[in-house]
Amino acid sequence: MSSPLPPPTKVTQPQPQPRPQPQTEQIDALLQHYLALLDEYTTLRAYLTALQTALFQDLARANFSAERGVRHYGRDYYDERMQAGRRVRVISSMGEGGGEAEGEAEGEGEGGGGLPVFTVGVYPPPGQGGQGQGIGGEEKEKPDSEGGEAVDGDGDGDDGHEDEKHPEQEGPAAPDDDADDADEDVKKIPNPKPKPKSADPLRWFGILTPLPLRQAQGHAIKAVEDIIPRLATLNAEMAGVELEVRRARKRRAKVERAEEKRVADLEEKMGKVDVGA
Amino acid sequence: MASQADFRDRQFLAVIGDEDSVTGLLLAGIGHVTAPPDNQKNFLVVDAKTDNSAIEAAFERFTTERKDIGIVLINQHIADRIRNRVDTYTQAFPTVLEIPSKDHPYDPEKDSVLRRVRRLFGE
Repeated sequence: MSSPLPPPTKVTQPQPQPRPQPQTEQIDALLQHYLALLDEYTTLRAYLTALQTALFQDLARANFSAERGVRHYGRDYYDERMQAGRRVRVISSMGEGGGEAEGEAEGEGEGGGGLPVFTVGVYPPPGQGGQGQGIGGEEKEKPDSEGGEAVDGDGDGDDGHEDEKHPEQEGPAAPDDDADDADEDVKKIPNPKPKPKSADPLRWFGILTPLPLRQAQGHAIKAVEDIIPRLATLNAEMAGVELEVRRARKRRAKVERAEEKRVADLEEKMGKVDVGA
Repeated sequence: MASQADFRDRQFLAVIGDEDSVTGLLLAGIGHVTAPPDNQKNFLVVDAKTDNSAIEAAFERFTTERKDIGIVLINQHIADRIRNRVDTYTQAFPTVLEIPSKDHPYDPEKDSVLRRVRRLFGE
């Protein structure tokens, strides 16, 4: 007796999963991108908080170890004619989240068709060159230019001495009797440009500033150059994605309403057919 | 719609904060005083004696009147004093960022970006 054949396996048709609407997929993709931006935002926020904490601690240490006569490293010492060494530069860039900008009504996060990208660095003022340059590191002012070394903030505090060194002056050590000749040679060499007054804010507080104050400057530069412009860019980018999510949700709601109306019409027609039969 | 020309000249950061916050940020070289006779500063040091009206005026000046400010930094506890004004600010330029101060740590609950996030997710 032959063994009964196994019952024929039913070729089960895979249940058609309700396919997500393209609008829903788009919203999910946007929200995924948004969450990635949010993650970066919160990470940078934490980093900024840590930098600010270090900055305040260094300032407190500088005030604690201040020389006699220095009351407080604060506004009493600000230069009333200060000029910004670090400036903002905003460029327009087509961001991933804002690539499909279609007639932005509110103009949030939009600038010339793309998202604004903020950078902060030692840039020359607008109108003094650098207008057509990109935002790469190579466009930063060279160390020997105005403001470049002035706000370098490397914390070594030797800027004043380095300023006085010129290659022309670094010849072989001249005997004392030749010193006058050497001085004359130096005088004859035309200076390419007048030495700019140092704009390093540390100089407001004196020539020999304490180490904690220089360290505070280092933290501030890191915050201003690395964290704050990125946070501003993220802010604009997130605003752009929010706008797109809201638009996509509206589109989806519109499609759903149209679908519901179509089903209702169909049911109504089916009801009429049943009554007629 | 913010045009490219709108932000081309926005080259300064502005700060509204307590003395240590402003001093720290000015150490980075962002402080600027315009040429006479205006002598407009791009920072405001706020202390216990500073009126809310003065803070609001500075905020208004940095965000609306001056066209050379790209980013406005304001201590979060000072932003709380003009919270309504800060929350109703919706312009793209300049960007307003709230930063922590020495005596008042950063509170995410008050952060305008994170509040927007909550609104987006329906909370």
